[in-house]
Amino acid sequence: MLSLDVKQVSKKYDTFELKEVSFQLEKGYIMGFIGANGAGKTTTIKLILNMIRIDSGEVQILGKNIAEHELELKQIIGCAFGDVEFYSRSKIKTLTDVIKRFYKNWNDDTYYSYLRRFKLDENKKISQLSTGMKVKYNLALALSHGAKLLILDEPTSGLDPVARDNLLEIFQELVSEGEISILFSTHITTDLEKCADFITFIENGRIVKSAEKEEFVASYRLLNGKENQLNEVKDKLISYKKNSFGFTGLIHAEDFDPGLEINAVIPSLEEIMIYFAKKEAMYV
Amino acid sequence: MFNLILKDFKIGVPRFFLILPVLTGALMLIPGWIYMVVLFYFCWITIPNMLAGVRTQNDLMFTALLPVTKSDIVKAKVSVIVILELLHIVFAIIFGMINLSLYPDVVNYFFAPHMGFWGLCFVMLGIFNIFLLSLYYKTAYKYGVATAVAIGGAMLFAVLTQWIALQNSYVHDIFYGTGIDDTVVQLSILIAGILIFIALTVIGYRMANQRFLKVEI
Repeated sequence: MLSLDVKQVSKKYDTFELKEVSFQLEKGYIMGFIGANGAGKTTTIKLILNMIRIDSGEVQILGKNIAEHELELKQIIGCAFGDVEFYSRSKIKTLTDVIKRFYKNWNDDTYYSYLRRFKLDENKKISQLSTGMKVKYNLALALSHGAKLLILDEPTSGLDPVARDNLLEIFQELVSEGEISILFSTHITTDLEKCADFITFIENGRIVKSAEKEEFVASYRLLNGKENQLNEVKDKLISYKKNSFGFTGLIHAEDFDPGLEINAVIPSLEEIMIYFAKKEAMYV
Repeated sequence: MFNLILKDFKIGVPRFFLILPVLTGALMLIPGWIYMVVLFYFCWITIPNMLAGVRTQNDLMFTALLPVTKSDIVKAKVSVIVILELLHIVFAIIFGMINLSLYPDVVNYFFAPHMGFWGLCFVMLGIFNIFLLSLYYKTAYKYGVATAVAIGGAMLFAVLTQWIALQNSYVHDIFYGTGIDDTVVQLSILIAGILIFIALTVIGYRMANQRFLKVEI
């Protein structure tokens, strides 16, 4: 069953456009939503949450259209925005007491068990929490009202490697029973290499590719060749960089001829992002 | 919607703004003062500070993530504003009654706090609300122009009514002469003022609601 189905969603602004964005997230999996800053990740997330009106297309969550069933679906969505703080001068206890009243399935036992597990002191103010603890607090809130879909916008930005790893383990544990799905936007691609099942890559408002993680990286090759070999593949490369040894460039796997004597490896997510960004820059 | 109102009183509205109606209301004890100013403290202090706080705390996004409708968001905020206005006016009326019993012989150049005067105050707050709500909810975060225009509208009404009451003998008689002892006239002005306040606030809410539906968060 699909937890999230984004179908041909478009939204036009004066200086930016999301064009026919489509991707699907299966129930019980983690999807990494990657793209450079300004690629359209947060705008897409806001469209999914019906905070922005869609020009065309449709967003379905667990088979229901968000625009038509917003209240019902928000009961089962949990969110965390890494770079946005709400009521930071309020104590956890006060904020939770306000928030829990909005959710029909709120469970105090679950909430306090997560507070203990995440070592959150409810007498602390939001501003006294570290970035990682803030994300954990949002997770505790989401899980206490029975969220089935977690939408996390840059949740690991600004975290140290230990805190990031800890959080990624929690994400994996949450989806392990198959009930919860996570859409996780980030530009820190190494996080996704550790925990994502699917990758959706957005670049300049368009989805470049959405696929299972291994399939995603396997569909590209990173070439390392000598300068005189560049002309043999130049037209097929997504983009390339010249260096003193020759060139490195990204190419779609199906466009690469293994007969050529050019060293080809499967790229990392970061390398894919970088070469696509370079392609955009070449056409600006 | 009740939960949204509760949310505002628990985390959105600083406690000070719940005490302020008592403090500003006590200004009614100054003999012979411009008593309309007492309610203006709500417009000058409470509203801009409250809306600035809402913006600083990212309240719009916080609320939008909760399972609530956009209409309920507007309705709750309007309710909170009206509750605060009523707090201000109720305490001002209480202190106004004390004023009348403390200084029965004081000559008031400006309106004395009789029932009819409170009717005018309700109209003044209604004018404030219609401008504030309709303009603020064009964006739901820019409060400067909305507050300035709303204060301007309310002050214009206050100055005009005071000027008419001083210049026009018929109106002067209602607020300064024999009219102040005519309970029916005074009560009628108060009720009419309350009805106009309700009408203007409801129109303001409807305009705000329509505009907020188009706001992208």
